[in-house]
Amino acid sequence: MLLRASGEQTGTEYDLNAVTNDTGDAGVEHESLLRELTEAAIRNRWDDLEDVRARAMQAMGEQETVDALTVAAAFNGITRVADATGIPLDEQTAATTVEMRDVTGIDRFDYAQKSARYSTADGSW
Amino acid sequence: MTLRYPDDLPLRDDLREGHAAAWADIAQPGVSWTGAERVAILAEARAALDCELCNARISALSPNAVQGVHDAASALPAAVVDGIHRLRTDPQRLTRAWFDSLVEDQLSLAAYAELVSLVCTSVIIDTQHNVLGLPVAPLPDPVDGEPSGDVLDDTVDIGAWLPVMKAEADLTDTGLPSVPNIARAMSLVPRAAALFFGAFRPHYRLQQIPFAISQAQTEFIASRVSALNECFY
Repeated sequence: MLLRASGEQTGTEYDLNAVTNDTGDAGVEHESLLRELTEAAIRNRWDDLEDVRARAMQAMGEQETVDALTVAAAFNGITRVADATGIPLDEQTAATTVEMRDVTGIDRFDYAQKSARYSTADGSW
Repeated sequence: MTLRYPDDLPLRDDLREGHAAAWADIAQPGVSWTGAERVAILAEARAALDCELCNARISALSPNAVQGVHDAASALPAAVVDGIHRLRTDPQRLTRAWFDSLVEDQLSLAAYAELVSLVCTSVIIDTQHNVLGLPVAPLPDPVDGEPSGDVLDDTVDIGAWLPVMKAEADLTDTGLPSVPNIARAMSLVPRAAALFFGAFRPHYRLQQIPFAISQAQTEFIASRVSALNECFY
């Protein structure tokens, strides 16, 4: 959702479906490398990460690569905070992103929906 | 044990300082947990990555379909170990029913909030080491002392699993409130929120990010992590 806001500030339109999907082109510079870096980091694929990190440093630069990985590390933590606390979207964000969440499929990650999906039939766990 | 990144890495000073401060804070007695228990929670979070039960659950259609005993690294109660391992390895499938059961029988809300903060802070710091090809930092040496019990009294229910601090609904020019819900998620225990965001803040800004990558690239990475972790927020 913040990628959309970032695009609005720069007059750039990004394909948000490509963000939630594992393939596609959202329109962000060095997107393919950023996608590879992020996936290797979050999936704990350290051998893959070593390779893509070397390629990213060559194509983007060392500082850019480290900064990209620094962002990924942070969101690996904060997504767990959200998951572990069932925190709802901010009211304004929820109201202005109804269509976008539907189109991109983000709604399937809603905590009430996930709780229903992953709980046992008798409500136990 | 002090946390220190190699000097030759291009990391900003505020990140180095934020992580070192978090590591030192983790060793101190907390609000519901002693220093030794807080460090044990971190050890357990790391052990989860090699836990056979966790790996079997990740592969299963539902985590509840697989029962067993975790490969524990501490003497923490079994339900606490289970909570830590789930949060570390399979957070997207945590459920309200699981949470309710845990806080009904095993943990106070404050102890849970503190545990979430500890695990998630360690995830940030351990991931930062992992992605740079560094070994994870040695765990800090726990400091003796009793938990403080300091929790926020004036809270509100916003539909989250935990009660949170009250906050104004005023919006900033990012379109987000000045205090977004995620910043309030662990606010029942102010020190838990401070620990986590002290480690998180040097990694991200909503605007004018002081990095060599653009704001759009930053949001793309953040969004991809959210999608990979199936995080709604």
